[in-house]
Amino acid sequence: MEKQTITRYKWFWAWQDHKEEEWLQSMSLQGWHLVTMSIGFYKFEKGEPANYVYRLDFNTNSSKNLIEYVGLFQDAGWEYLGRLSSWQYFRKLAAPGEEPEIFTDNESKIAKYQRIITFLVILSPVYFVIFFPHMADRVPLPFAIVVGAFYFTLMVIYSVAIVSLARRINQLKRL
Amino acid sequence: MSGVQVGNMAKNNNASKYLPLTESTYYILLALIEPLHGYAVMQKVEEISEQTVTVGPGTLYGAFSTLEKEGLIVKVEDDGRRKSYSLTAKGLDVLFQQIDRLDIMARSGRKAIDEFRELNSNKKR
Repeated sequence: MEKQTITRYKWFWAWQDHKEEEWLQSMSLQGWHLVTMSIGFYKFEKGEPANYVYRLDFNTNSSKNLIEYVGLFQDAGWEYLGRLSSWQYFRKLAAPGEEPEIFTDNESKIAKYQRIITFLVILSPVYFVIFFPHMADRVPLPFAIVVGAFYFTLMVIYSVAIVSLARRINQLKRL
Repeated sequence: MSGVQVGNMAKNNNASKYLPLTESTYYILLALIEPLHGYAVMQKVEEISEQTVTVGPGTLYGAFSTLEKEGLIVKVEDDGRRKSYSLTAKGLDVLFQQIDRLDIMARSGRKAIDEFRELNSNKKR
């Protein structure tokens, strides 16, 4: 008999990963366990309610290192659910109130958010700021306005993302 | 200053840029005095720290990457899935310097506690 599945549409920003982890855990407590995930939606299958703790890592690993990477988690009792871009999904069964962690000190938690910032900065469409003035002369004005507005929005989103990630890092920094 | 003394100073400065180590990094280096693979390191750290420090897989993987990049540890064995690491001479040097630092920290702390207790017991008389 095939297992019942449902799909949920939800969006989490990079700095809300702990909210995503909590949400996936609450779903498991209701008996819905994550099967696959894609951008903006998640697929769950029905099972017994269980206290699965979900943890997300951000790791731009080549597949060469992936075996060692995943192996480390599996040895420590974590189940690998796959990746979504550079986001790696893990879960572990926990006793009520128990909170297993993949990052056991603040320094490594901060390092994760710094990896995301580095990734965003490299991907940042800064080069459009360089190329756009040249392009603006050669294309019809309405097109230039639309493209300009699009990239302006993208830049705003990137700025908000980097500031929010920096704030998350500051929350984690301590003495 | 003799040439040997200047040389030793340079060596110390090389290691000192890594000090002080975080608790996790310290215990990982300590565990790797004997070559071990990942999960064994997690278990050993918990044991030698008397359950005060646990190292999760995310933290450990990051530490391995950084320590290997900085030349403090090397891969020794590789059966595909389980990679074993060991300290390099540089890693050993950093570790021993950190232990000296911790020694001073613990000594100064115990001395302060003793003085504090003596001060307070004097007040009661």
